[in-house]
Amino acid sequence: MSTATGYNFAYLDEQSKRMIRRAILKGVAIPGYQVPFGGREMPLPHGWGTGGMQVTASVIGEADKLKVIDQGADDTTNAVSIRRFFAHTAGVETTEQTAEATLIQTRHRIPERPLQADQILIYQVPIPEPLRFIEPRESETRKMHALSEYGAMQVKLYEDVARFGHIATSYDYPVMVNNRYMMDPSPIPKFDNPKMSMMPALQLFGAGFEKRIYAVPPFTQVESLDFDDHPFEVQSWDEACAICGSDHSFLDEVITDDNGSKMFVCSDTDYCRERVDQGFVGTAADLSTSEQETEQ
Amino acid sequence: MAVSSHELIAGFADPVQASQQVFRAALKVMSEPGTLVEIDYAETAPKGLDLSTWQLALSLLDPNTRVWLSPTLAANDAVISNLRFHCQCPLVDNPFDADFVIAWHSELPLLAELNWGTAEYPDRSTTLIVQVPALSDEPDWTLSGPGIEHTRSLYVAGLSEPFRSDLTRSRQRFPLGIDTFWCCDNRMAALPRTTQIEPFKKAEEAC
Ligand SMILES: [Zn+2]
Repeated sequence: MSTATGYNFAYLDEQSKRMIRRAILKGVAIPGYQVPFGGREMPLPHGWGTGGMQVTASVIGEADKLKVIDQGADDTTNAVSIRRFFAHTAGVETTEQTAEATLIQTRHRIPERPLQADQILIYQVPIPEPLRFIEPRESETRKMHALSEYGAMQVKLYEDVARFGHIATSYDYPVMVNNRYMMDPSPIPKFDNPKMSMMPALQLFGAGFEKRIYAVPPFTQVESLDFDDHPFEVQSWDEACAICGSDHSFLDEVITDDNGSKMFVCSDTDYCRERVDQGFVGTAADLSTSEQETEQ
Repeated sequence: MAVSSHELIAGFADPVQASQQVFRAALKVMSEPGTLVEIDYAETAPKGLDLSTWQLALSLLDPNTRVWLSPTLAANDAVISNLRFHCQCPLVDNPFDADFVIAWHSELPLLAELNWGTAEYPDRSTTLIVQVPALSDEPDWTLSGPGIEHTRSLYVAGLSEPFRSDLTRSRQRFPLGIDTFWCCDNRMAALPRTTQIEPFKKAEEAC
């Protein structure tokens, strides 16, 4: 394994790693609870998610295969930079394939392909405290968690119902972990919330600015908040993916030409590719076929 | 007690890689309670410490972790010297003040004597590392909770009946509690405070 000389393995110094590792073990033992950690800053460009980077740097080893996604895609500037960073400083193999990754660092999505035991999903978290916008004081939100005093969040969601007729929150949708702690799932779409529950993989969350780590062990119940008369619902689309025809993925709307033509495609690019490899096709393929036929 | 240089043994041959691998083993057993792993990243341990205990110490302990040792370990020059030399962890006289307690199964302090954390900071609790005479997946305890899909069985030898029942009942005080590593030779398992413990029930014989 060749790593860049002059760096610590995975960049972070050993003492900071130990501190973060101990915090991760506490996080796993108290699912959904935010463990504060100390340690040094990782001086990284904005958007890399220092919390996720610190967790990945503390967990990663030579045997790992790392995948990094940003909004579901492996090829955004951030995802590519983070992957290169760990390939360079830890000498690890990287991959774009969900199935073969042992560690997946993510911003904004959970892969569509179900994760397996012994995989670890590491979330970059901007604001770890779900109650922060209700109560700005850390001392108070700590008390609210200690007493399971979560009524204020129910009130907030119900204000949505009163105003819009449904719960309008569609990202960062709060969850209850193991029936005890309210947790911010990071800015993933609520479409992904059900995947968190009873997932065979371990889920770790790192917030760099606020220095918090939290975790959801495998096979742990994660429930999205809702009301008896307004049950939790995920986003759905009338369209299917134009590339692979999937009718069950989270879709992004993309503009395809100067006339503003639009199509919907899987936000998870690896999942879409995997389906195309398996022979699935969407309407975009039909279009190109019919165009070819016309030309002939 | 000072460091006795003649008692010192080598630590990890490759500290960075071995610490990471031992941590991953610790992470696996803590997130999948009752799962047994074997760790072999060090060849020998100071006399008195199990190989798994020693590797956990090398991976997780440092000047920021206060450690309490059970009486036999605290009186063992090899244990003290190597922990001081390799981990530089401060040793404390009262188990309540410890981040980590390392104890023989027969010398365990009462759970009530340990720090269970506070309602606002349940993470500020003592982690227990217990050396036991045998550790297996034989049906003795039936475990359930986070990290366990259905149930898992675990046998931890050498624990007193009062300690077993204290540990079982401690779950009622969640999120306060004690997380435990069980060590035996190169084997290791863990029970975080979330794991519910029940005595194994033999299947009822058919009439
Ligand atoms: Zn697709």
